[in-house]
Amino acid sequence: MESKAIESPKELQEQLLDMEKLKYCFECGICTASCPVMEITSNHYNPRVLLEQILLDPDKVLKKEALWLCAWCYRCYKRCPQRLKVPEIFLALRKMATRQGHLEGFNEALRTVSRHVPFPASYCWVCLHPERSMLDRQFVESALQNATRFSAKERKRRAILAQEAERCKVAVIGSGPAGLTAACELAVEGFPVTVFESMTKLGGMLQKCLPTYRLPKDVLNAEIEHMKDLGIEFRTSTTVGKDLTIGKLRREGFKAIFISTGAHKSRELKVEGCNREGVLHALEFLKEANLGNANVGEKVVVIGGGNVAVDAARTALRMGAKDVAVLYRRSREEMPANPWEVSEAEAEGVKIHFLISPKKILGKNKRVAALECIKMSLGELDESGRRAPLPVEGSEFIMDSDMIILAIGEMPNLTFLPKEIEITEAGTIAVDPFTMETSMPGVFAGGDVVLGPATVVEAIVAGKRAASSIERYLEGEV
Amino acid sequence: MTKVQLQETEHATPTESIRIGVYVCHCGLNIAGSVDCEAVAKFAATLPYVVVSKDYRYTCSEPGQELIRSDIKEYKLNRVVVASCSPRLHEPTFRRVCEDAGLNKYLFEMANIREHCSWVHLHDRESATEKAEDLVRMAVARAALLEPEEENTVPITRKALVIGGGVAGIQAALDLADTGYHVYLVERDPSIGGRMAQLDKTFPTMDCSICILAPKMADAGRHPNIELLTNSEVQEVKGYIGNFKAKVMKKPRYVTDECTACGDCVPVCSVTVPNEFDVGLSTRHGIYIPFPQAVPSTYIVDRELCLNKENIIVCDKCIKACERQAIDFEMKPEILELEVGTIVVATGADVFDPASLVEYGYTKFPNVITSLEFERLINAGGPSGGHIIRPSDMKIPETVAFIQCVGSRSERGHLYCSNVCCMNTIKDSLLIKEHWPETKIYVFYLDIRAYGKGFEDLYKRAKKEGVLFIRGLPAEVIEDRKTRNLWLIGENTLQQELYRINAEMAILSIGIEPRKDSAVIQRLLTLSRTQDGFFMEAHPKLRPVDAPTGGIFLAGCAESPKDIKDSVTQASAAAARASILMAKGKVTVEAITPRLIEENCTVCGLCARVCPYNAIIFDKEAKRVEFIEAACGGCGTCAAECPFDAIKMRHFTDEQIFAQIDAATQLDAEKKIIAFCCNWCSYAGADFAGVSRMQYPTNVRIIRTMCSGRVAPKFVEYAFARGAAAVLVSGCHIGDCHYINANYQTLKRVEKLWKKMERLELNKDRLQLEWINASEGERLASKIREMQAIVGSVSAEEIENSKKMMRKG
Ligand SMILES: Cc1cc2nc3c(=O)[nH]c(=O)nc-3n(C[C@H](O)[C@H](O)[C@H](O)COP(=O)(O)OP(=O)(O)OC[C@H]3O[C@@H](n4cnc5c(N)ncnc54)[C@H](O)[C@@H]3O)c2cc1C
Ligand SMILES: Cc1cc2nc3c(=O)[nH]c(=O)nc-3n(C[C@H](O)[C@H](O)[C@H](O)COP(=O)(O)OP(=O)(O)OC[C@H]3O[C@@H](n4cnc5c(N)ncnc54)[C@H](O)[C@@H]3O)c2cc1C
Ligand code: SF4
Ligand code: SF4
Ligand code: SF4
Ligand code: SF4
Repeated sequence: MESKAIESPKELQEQLLDMEKLKYCFECGICTASCPVMEITSNHYNPRVLLEQILLDPDKVLKKEALWLCAWCYRCYKRCPQRLKVPEIFLALRKMATRQGHLEGFNEALRTVSRHVPFPASYCWVCLHPERSMLDRQFVESALQNATRFSAKERKRRAILAQEAERCKVAVIGSGPAGLTAACELAVEGFPVTVFESMTKLGGMLQKCLPTYRLPKDVLNAEIEHMKDLGIEFRTSTTVGKDLTIGKLRREGFKAIFISTGAHKSRELKVEGCNREGVLHALEFLKEANLGNANVGEKVVVIGGGNVAVDAARTALRMGAKDVAVLYRRSREEMPANPWEVSEAEAEGVKIHFLISPKKILGKNKRVAALECIKMSLGELDESGRRAPLPVEGSEFIMDSDMIILAIGEMPNLTFLPKEIEITEAGTIAVDPFTMETSMPGVFAGGDVVLGPATVVEAIVAGKRAASSIERYLEGEV
Repeated sequence: MTKVQLQETEHATPTESIRIGVYVCHCGLNIAGSVDCEAVAKFAATLPYVVVSKDYRYTCSEPGQELIRSDIKEYKLNRVVVASCSPRLHEPTFRRVCEDAGLNKYLFEMANIREHCSWVHLHDRESATEKAEDLVRMAVARAALLEPEEENTVPITRKALVIGGGVAGIQAALDLADTGYHVYLVERDPSIGGRMAQLDKTFPTMDCSICILAPKMADAGRHPNIELLTNSEVQEVKGYIGNFKAKVMKKPRYVTDECTACGDCVPVCSVTVPNEFDVGLSTRHGIYIPFPQAVPSTYIVDRELCLNKENIIVCDKCIKACERQAIDFEMKPEILELEVGTIVVATGADVFDPASLVEYGYTKFPNVITSLEFERLINAGGPSGGHIIRPSDMKIPETVAFIQCVGSRSERGHLYCSNVCCMNTIKDSLLIKEHWPETKIYVFYLDIRAYGKGFEDLYKRAKKEGVLFIRGLPAEVIEDRKTRNLWLIGENTLQQELYRINAEMAILSIGIEPRKDSAVIQRLLTLSRTQDGFFMEAHPKLRPVDAPTGGIFLAGCAESPKDIKDSVTQASAAAARASILMAKGKVTVEAITPRLIEENCTVCGLCARVCPYNAIIFDKEAKRVEFIEAACGGCGTCAAECPFDAIKMRHFTDEQIFAQIDAATQLDAEKKIIAFCCNWCSYAGADFAGVSRMQYPTNVRIIRTMCSGRVAPKFVEYAFARGAAAVLVSGCHIGDCHYINANYQTLKRVEKLWKKMERLELNKDRLQLEWINASEGERLASKIREMQAIVGSVSAEEIENSKKMMRKG
């Protein structure tokens, strides 16, 4: 799709038919029903219908707002019976719209986003990826300014109006996208909201681990600053479970609690040598990198196949590593990282090796010096619906490396929860999928802490669902 | 009109006085739409030896045939060339026409200007016409060198082997047996019956499945002409049409014929496993009968499960319980060697396992079940006595949701439509309504395919009964942890609205997929499979139940997903086709086998080494090389191997092939691709590209050989020596060769040629090898598109070099 600039929509249509098998979209509706943006924008967006419009009249689509709303979560792709790379199809058209100067749709989309998302600028950079559509940075910044001006004012006005009503106190634990969304939604409805955050800074993963090149931190911090205008109280450096407990929060008069503590516990790799110097977890590495105090090796090996692994690899490369390799134990097909992210990383020079698994971390003194690997082959489907990797006997080999980054998955840390809150087998909080209520009345949860590592848009959906159920719950209460 | 001189070649020119008639067919607008047929006919008239050349609207029609017949007489033609469709379609028709007019059928040749020309070059009339002329030139050049041949006949063993004892296999066996032939019916399971035995009712008639199947099973069990071999598997098949030798392993049942199926042994057995017949919804013991109506009605011991392992009897409870002393742990596997003339493959199909579609929660949520499990639940003889109870709490559900196309029409399962699941769901919904009319039923679908006789009525009935059909598949199924009810979330695409529906049970309409061990049967019988994995027929329209390998026929779901009626119809058709062969009692073998040119033969024995059928007797001492015609498959790999030109492949002689290359390279050789395609896979693949109207560049000239193994290195070298820009050698995929493994020789030869080209500093990309099967039209088309780029990059100097180098050899 990159190679040649295609100008006529007809040509583009043909290419899409060829490459993405667009013609095979059965209009089953699975993508639409999976799409978090659909829910965030209150059904303002429908990817299935947009796809069909591309077939019917690509020219018209170039000017449409909907073209710019997809947030690259790839949920549709993962379930689409035809495996259409929906966001990439849209990308091809977005690029064409940019080239032809049809940017009214983009402006319109930003206005919609700012009506529905409390941190539209951060959302725009992290989820809409304007750079992929070849949009100029300055243009995006000014478009954002235009789009957000009015809605920010409006929010504040509503918040002040709402504050006159007497409403119950709500606690939000964790200040990631889920927590921030819920807090803002509740605040404009007049609930006094307090957000508890264990870190010194707000924003969750967006602050802690999202590489700066993806999201400038001043954009995020400015947006969080504005939230304070809504009357939200932020208590940083406060860890629930250590400084406070859920029981205590309830006793302090918080009638409803929303848990959005994310998934920050790194899964451990069970091989020998993980305790050597130079071996670290991706989240740790990315956090230090964001703080500006990480060191990077020369030959970096990242183990894992998710988005976090890819981000860590790209960050390592940006920080000056000579050679960055990602090892994944299944094949490209099964890789959970988003296909576009993977191809971007490869284009930057990250080498991705498939069907390889680490066996042992070798070292000199205490430091890591190399990695013993084994080749894998794919067997039968396992319970995750993917083919299980099996080691190929006798295929061990050694890879030199002076830094190994483990990115084999994250999970929620749930030790702070009271017993009444039920936990699933997957180690996440069990909730009603629609109301987000946990097994403890008045306590709700959402975001990565419920889904396991997911995306910002899904966290926003959870925040919205939780806010509206909390409102309903508290209205029943009063 | 000026006669174009036949190019002087170093290869043969015909000796007798040749009189060729050329007939260029319009095929309505199929050819004439993009090829100027009149011009082609005029052009043909200018070719050497052509005495008459005509174009005609439909050459295969009776008047068209008559035209050829009368011309043969009138013009004393001794060769006929028809330029029309694929020889795979109408060569037999026109050969018959020639024979009717007294001309030996081997003196007929075809130019494929439809599948290989007009249909694949729809938008370039000029180049398509030029190509058609070239193809006719090639055909005429070959025709001039054709020789009359006599065909040998071999006797046919009047016995048939039917593999698979589902409804299709049973029907085929009964029809063959009733016609009077002896039939071996081999079934892998302990009982015949197949999938149909598991079903409750059958659409569209809603009659009881086992009630209509059981009498047929009993007939098959009792028929004097049918030898039932259950619990048996085919291990090896050798031979050829009319004369197959099959090895069948009959695994021991450990229960003899003395068994009266009283069942006294069962209660005493202490080991159990999930019962396969009930798809794991019930259990069975170590000694068991698969289902009450099983045929043979004999119990069986599952030795995997039984406590008695090899030769050590630690448990004798069943032995003691059996009054008729029918249990015998000493039984051993038997190998039977069967001689049969025809084989019917009716191995059926498996069902899709939906566990890989994690968002539907199968195996995670107890109340999500498959349509096959549902069949057992609603069956009065099933584990729940015919009550649909939901697994989590044994309650009869008040709301039921069906999800269609699970694993079908999907990149995440199979790309094809499974054909039966729409109707099956409609049937199931009516069954529920019949027993529990208050049940609320949702069907989430993509399209409802009610295409058959009586299907639409049934669909309407379901609508009338209040079944709700919603267009749009659920994106996910979520379980309510307390009630174990299910939420189905999706988009109603007709209303453009999201739905969120609560159901107490969800049934996944799973698709049908090829048997997991299809590759084994494929290898044993040298069959082909389509991309979908089902066995491929010889021709989808004209020979729909014949396998491409002579004497083998297909029936039922083994060929493609289908319902019972179609399976039975196909089975009867397969039986009839097999009977026709056996009634004749003999079969003629095509006269395409080799002849030894003794004066050239040095008795080196190289040919014998590559023959896949061991059809060459090589005796070094006696200085003897001899071909066993009956065993020879006709692949021609021996002739390609012989370094001394001592083997003549009849009807595919070196001279004929050289003449085709000559003709193809006469004009603009430096722009052309010469492609050698094997008859069974890649030529058929090129036909498929035509049928599917896949467009590709016009500069390719296809030369048909029976097997890619026939392609001698000298042909490739000659094509380059004549200045061709590129050469494609193409055959069946390794492992799928119609001549067992002759294409392995192709691979070796091409690799050698590549090395040679490298040594001569020629661009070896100009020689390409590609495995293309009959369903891979797109592969062929894209290969040619890819080679087009290579052609473009070849310099005039490179062409000159190869002309020189390759001529030197
Ligand atoms: C490297 C990386 C790159 C990513 N890139 C993208 C991307 O491009 N697009 C995208 O959509 N998604 C991306 N994600 C995922 C996305 O960041 C998360 O899905 C999202 O942030 C989840 O939001 P959340 O609100 O549920 O939790 P989080 O953002 O994880 O926030 C949880 C917060 O709770 C705090 N907390 C935890 N425990 C306690 C406690 N006991 N007391 C008080 N506070 C607590 C944490 O410190 C944290 O600030 C990425 C993730 C990573 C790691
Ligand atoms: C859930 C479901 C519901 C259906 N409902 C209906 C319906 O209502 N109406 C309808 O018309 N159709 C229905 N069908 C389709 C119907 O089941 C098939 O059309 C029919 O069973 C096909 O018969 P068959 O003989 O081709 O294959 P099968 O019934 O599959 O029989 C094949 C037999 O071959 C045996 N076999 C396999 N491999 C070997 C081997 N290597 N050696 C020896 N033996 C072997 C197997 O053990 C089996 O006994 C349904 C199908 C499914 C899955
Ligand atoms: S999920 Fe795929 S097939 Fe279904 S409507 Fe969306 S794009 Fe089309
Ligand atoms: S990638 Fe995500 S946001 Fe984009 S259309 Fe698909 S589901 Fe919606
Ligand atoms: S028969 Fe119906 S349910 Fe089955 S695959 Fe075809 S369309 Fe889908
Ligand atoms: S043509 Fe093939 S099968 Fe026949 S003798 Fe030669 S190598 Fe053997």
